[in-house]
Amino acid sequence: MFFFTVRRLLSSIVVLFASSLAVFALCVASFDPLAPYRTRQPAPPPEFFANLREQLNLNEPFISRYFSWLGGVLTLDFGESNGGTAVGPQLLGRLGVTARMVIAAMVLAVILAIIVGVLTAVRQYKPEDYLFTFLTYVLIALPTFWFAALLKEFVAIQFNDLVGQQIFYTIGEQSPAIELIGTRSEIFWDRLGHLILPTISLAMLSFAAWSRFQRAAMLDVLNSDYIRLARAKGLQRRRVLVRHGLRNALIPLTTVVALNVGLIMGGAVVTETVFVWHGMGEYLIVSIGRSDLFPVLGWLLVAAFFVILFNLIADLLYAVLDPRIRLN
Amino acid sequence: MKSTRRGTAVTATFAVAALVLAACGGGDDPTTETPSGGGEGGLEPSGSATYGESTAFPENLNPLIAAGNSVATSNILVGILPGAFIIQPDFSLSHDENLLESEPVSDDSGDQQVVTYEISDDAIWSDETPITAADFEFTWRIQRSSDPADGGCEVLLGTTGYDQIESVEPGDDDKTAVVTFTDPYPDWQSLFTLYPAHILDEGDDAANCTAITEGWPIAEGLPEEFSGGPYQLTAANIDAGAQTVVLTPNPNWYGEGPGLENLIYQSIGSESNTTVAALQNNEVQLASPQPQLDLVGQIEGLAPNVTSSIDFGLSFEHFDMNTANVHLGKPEVRKAFALALDRTSLVEATVGAFDSRAQVLNNRVFVNNQPEYVDTAPEEYNAQDIEGAVALLEGVGYTIGADGVATHPTDGPLQLTMSTTQNNPLREQTIDLATAQVADAGFAIEKFLDPDIFAGAEKPTSLEARGFEIALFAWVSSPFFSSTKSLYVTGEGQNYAGASVPEVDELLNALTSEVDRDAAVTMANEADALLWEEMATIPLYQKPTFTAWSSTLEGIEPNASLAGPLWNVGQITVA
Repeated sequence: MFFFTVRRLLSSIVVLFASSLAVFALCVASFDPLAPYRTRQPAPPPEFFANLREQLNLNEPFISRYFSWLGGVLTLDFGESNGGTAVGPQLLGRLGVTARMVIAAMVLAVILAIIVGVLTAVRQYKPEDYLFTFLTYVLIALPTFWFAALLKEFVAIQFNDLVGQQIFYTIGEQSPAIELIGTRSEIFWDRLGHLILPTISLAMLSFAAWSRFQRAAMLDVLNSDYIRLARAKGLQRRRVLVRHGLRNALIPLTTVVALNVGLIMGGAVVTETVFVWHGMGEYLIVSIGRSDLFPVLGWLLVAAFFVILFNLIADLLYAVLDPRIRLN
Repeated sequence: MKSTRRGTAVTATFAVAALVLAACGGGDDPTTETPSGGGEGGLEPSGSATYGESTAFPENLNPLIAAGNSVATSNILVGILPGAFIIQPDFSLSHDENLLESEPVSDDSGDQQVVTYEISDDAIWSDETPITAADFEFTWRIQRSSDPADGGCEVLLGTTGYDQIESVEPGDDDKTAVVTFTDPYPDWQSLFTLYPAHILDEGDDAANCTAITEGWPIAEGLPEEFSGGPYQLTAANIDAGAQTVVLTPNPNWYGEGPGLENLIYQSIGSESNTTVAALQNNEVQLASPQPQLDLVGQIEGLAPNVTSSIDFGLSFEHFDMNTANVHLGKPEVRKAFALALDRTSLVEATVGAFDSRAQVLNNRVFVNNQPEYVDTAPEEYNAQDIEGAVALLEGVGYTIGADGVATHPTDGPLQLTMSTTQNNPLREQTIDLATAQVADAGFAIEKFLDPDIFAGAEKPTSLEARGFEIALFAWVSSPFFSSTKSLYVTGEGQNYAGASVPEVDELLNALTSEVDRDAAVTMANEADALLWEEMATIPLYQKPTFTAWSSTLEGIEPNASLAGPLWNVGQITVA
């Protein structure tokens, strides 16, 4: 397993290098940070443009700019945005924001997926199975942004109107300046009120697919010989389901969850935009809009790092959870 | 029993995780400082209001440099930086009566233009240092040049106007600033948004330039938290992570108000559903998003809890026709294109859908609702005239083929590309409509959403490279119009169409030194009338702006100029 891990890490570095070079080339070809100033009236003086080109190293050859950035990355210096803000601390702060949403969403999605997956497997072709099958396919088909908009309109606003109090919020991670007017508990509930809808919105994206996966895995296990044997030996149905069935049916889900971290982070781009969370997703969108090269590259590196990391974790977990698999 | 405990445990696990996540978020929460006090007069600060900023959160607060050049920055600073003149909602100019004792007047009677500013005795910075002529002098000194060899600073976004000042000196006392211009400057009222010399002056030009280059990074706030307006911004009230800033009353504000205890800026992005939901859920009380049909309709549906207003601003859309093109180099072809356009129906179908008050714009210097606006368009361009357009084309050798496309014996078919920006449905719709309209006259137009339209000359299709054929984009008009020459004078940098009319050159060059505003307006309108003959640009319509606010707010007066929706921020109160 050690050699497998080392091999995977080395190949990941090559992938990371190639993808960063490709994104760097694409960004350099399409970004023009000077564009917003060309339509200013009156036009900025020529010295302004010359200085900005110099400041942003636009006069340097492409490859030298790339390796200069790469050299910085090796010392954890991710460069600066066009506006002079260091990218590294920005990434770190925003990663915390996104992680909060992603972790909450994953916990919720996993719990719901297991419950619904097991229930629909055990009650196969019963009304509950048909109901949840219908619901999960609807959720799979719903675009994230639309589902988020529905949550805002029909959960947040309608519910708040109904109870005459602001329980759910539609923007941000907390009410601005809540510290001015709020007690500690009010601040706490305010944050919770901001967390719930984005979490549900993001969680449903994965829950639907994972519950189908869990259902299939559970059915597979339930129809296996050792389960029939266990039942034939007189073990309780609940004990067979949980100890022998669920435990084995969770193995594939574990790896799927790990593999889907990248997908959830991708979903967070949309969710963050809709719920105005200033996390990694928003950073990418705003930076592309600003033709800001280094934040885009920084985002890519962080996102790629996590995708690679969780892919590796998925592989390792699979081997750990299933003793029949040997990665060597 | 067991299963109940397990179920409870699962629920509890999630609940605890959610609570922990909720509790550990933020981290950099500002400890908001709320000083008591505020200004004089009857308006006492009370309550809070949140402005939902739809443009990106600023990285830097110094508006003199690229990093601080954003709408969000100016919306934050409008209540902090004192300025000599304010653009009113009707686009007229009025002096700031809190800052100045009397309206400054330009004296052109001598050899040089001289403007005297009498500063109010009450006017002080937030640290109680009086605002004096030294602040005027410093404001001029740091913006007078972008040439380092001349003591200037190359990071400055603009030096216009300040580069025409010879000196700024105290008058009878330091509460009088006397500004003497080297060359007459008609737009002198655009100058002097003041910066505090006693805080920002580093002593020499190079050190000042270094400080300007660094700017005021948002996380650090303003140097010594200075303010000369009704509100102040303390570093503790900036949460760059959550992208919010909270303005609180300037305890040493010398005017009336302000009316709010906390004015909160929250970056909410430009997604229209977000703005609607945030207003509906009372999470923001004021917003000024880009108007889109669905957004406007949804917000208007929130009445009476939310009030909204569409106003036509100083930004206008127009077609630029590249005179270097083999077809468009012929004035007759450009005129034929203009005749074939039905601008009235084009306006009705685009901006007219927002507001029935939308009109066709018939001036390139002034927009319809400016007091200086004159309809300079010749009669023939007020209605579509396909026959006239075809006749003009046939007059220069084109014949309409069986495919309906006009073809020149040597220059080929009249196939042109119409470029515009990406992700702008209104512009795309305008091009689609125009394409259909001019097709009847033999023009075959292809739409091109050019990502490089505003790129530098190195991109072959950009405006600067003059690689376009017809381009649709906007110019921002202004009450200050002496710089119009850069758009229409022969060889000027932003004259992308390549218009060249000697009489226009003469008029617009003279405009830059005409200090009699009435005479300057007449000259500008004369020049515009002549540009119809050249027909290198066709004005289309003013772009609408949109302001929406909670009905609990009072004092909101939408201002479609660059002053923005918070131009009178000191007067906004919660009912």
